[in-house]
Amino acid sequence: MNKNYLFLAILMILLAAGLLLVPERQNYQQIKPEKLMWDITQTSRFVTVDQVAQMIIEGDPTLELIDIRPAKDFEAFSLTNAINIPLDSLMKPDYQDYFGIEDMNVVFYGNSDIKADQAWVISKRMGYNSIYVMQGGLNCWIRKIIQPVEPEESASQEEFDLYQFRKGACAFFTGTKVEAPDAGKTGIKVVKRKKGTAVAGGC
Amino acid sequence: MGPLIPQEIITGQWDFVIALLIGGAFGFILEASGFSSSRNIAGVFYGYNFVVLRVFFTAMIVAMVGLLYFSYFGWIDLDLVFVLPTYLNSMLFGGFLMGLGFVIGGFCPGTSYTAVAIGKIDGIVFATGFLIGVFLFAEGFPFYEDFYTANDLGNITIGEMFGISNEWIAFLFVVVAIVAFYVTWLIEKRVRKNMTEYKFE
Amino acid sequence: MDTKIVKKQQPKYINPYFGGILLGLLLLAAFFIAGRGLSASGAVKLLVVTVVDKVAPAHAEGNAYYSKFIPADGSSPLYNWLIFGAIGTFFGGMLSGAIFGRLKKLRVEHSPKISARTRLIAAGAGGILFGIGSQFGRGCSSGAALSGTASLSFGGLIVMALMFGIGYVFAWFFRKLWI
Repeated sequence: MNKNYLFLAILMILLAAGLLLVPERQNYQQIKPEKLMWDITQTSRFVTVDQVAQMIIEGDPTLELIDIRPAKDFEAFSLTNAINIPLDSLMKPDYQDYFGIEDMNVVFYGNSDIKADQAWVISKRMGYNSIYVMQGGLNCWIRKIIQPVEPEESASQEEFDLYQFRKGACAFFTGTKVEAPDAGKTGIKVVKRKKGTAVAGGC
Repeated sequence: MGPLIPQEIITGQWDFVIALLIGGAFGFILEASGFSSSRNIAGVFYGYNFVVLRVFFTAMIVAMVGLLYFSYFGWIDLDLVFVLPTYLNSMLFGGFLMGLGFVIGGFCPGTSYTAVAIGKIDGIVFATGFLIGVFLFAEGFPFYEDFYTANDLGNITIGEMFGISNEWIAFLFVVVAIVAFYVTWLIEKRVRKNMTEYKFE
Repeated sequence: MDTKIVKKQQPKYINPYFGGILLGLLLLAAFFIAGRGLSASGAVKLLVVTVVDKVAPAHAEGNAYYSKFIPADGSSPLYNWLIFGAIGTFFGGMLSGAIFGRLKKLRVEHSPKISARTRLIAAGAGGILFGIGSQFGRGCSSGAALSGTASLSFGGLIVMALMFGIGYVFAWFFRKLWI
């Protein structure tokens, strides 16, 4: 038996054995703690309910609303075209395809801020960007959009404009709701991120 | 870093030039190793020439181990690499037919191209037969379309199928390969001693 | 290797293990550059699709299998990685044949115990079987078995195992063709 072959064979086995000994690949690109700290303190990670209402009315295709409440609450009431991912299932592999889609802005909302904030931190840790929280959650939504409060006489023009907008938005949302219990699909489909934008491959 | 083309690091224009080059190297290596001769290829089934096993198995373990190492070093993103999807029923049947075709025809498509290139008529006939076979399949496709797509397990890897990590699978393959090389070396010596009329092309 | 062979000009082949290492590295390069392995059968399939599409386009569109490979933008199905790979394979083989002195006149290679005609019939039959089988198997020995298994596809493993397994099972019946 040629010495060379023996040498090669041993080399090959060592290489393969080496594979077993190296640590597991990281699946997520972990965000650095400093970056996370910085991002947390940015107020730009919040969007107001007015902004969300605006985006829905305009049919903004980059909006991806994620409702992190339990499925029961989602079915009872939810925002137009929102997807339901209960907070405790956020890291499940099935749902990962909703994140990391180019140009899409993910907005978390819950009844209030707390759960949505937690979702935000978790997704930032998983390395996703373009993640936002709807400030005040659904409670704020109901208070401002659905039951807008008329500003006092002495309030500024801006506040009146805002009020007009909210009244309009209210009509848009509650009106649509009456006609189509499906929460008025404006035809924006949230597309799951395609696995492997890669090759078609094969023979 | 890799794979380069799917991530547009190399633009689509180069796509086909690279295909030509890779194909060229493929054909060269095949022919140089002796795969342009059907008798060399069929030898693996009868024990007088194990070149198929040697080249095939070596290439497979080198590529397998290499891929896993590349992935570990972050040089390649395995999610973007094409993994052949598994259609259980269809593939079992296909493998069966191909096994028969292999032992009767003594070629496979890639090697038949090299045989044609050096002037082997049986290579040409094989390639033509292959073409006819593909045509027949496509014509009859409506009849077995369901069978064709039955049992789609998706892009499942061997490790996922058996619940073992892919690194172990690679290691197993290497060990099996080395053992196979040794055993076939012994077998080949024995068989050739008894085949006095075996002559090379 | 000393074996009792009829003293003839021994064809020069490279060491199979060396060839295997080269092939493995090539496969790795293919994965790295293009994200896919080697394949030979795909080119023939595309050729068939192109011809049928030219001759009977309505039939091609109607058939579920052909239509998959006819690009929507009207370009030829031949404008594909697989075709160029196959062309490359052909010329690569030719180059190697030229270098190693195997580029000779047209000939049929067959076992001395059978006639050339038998060999050709067997080659044709084998080719047809392989053609049908490769479509079921989503690839051939290089595409499905080699590249597939190298990328750790379970399907690739199945195809490879069956291809060689069945070959061994039926080898005895066809031994007259070879030994």
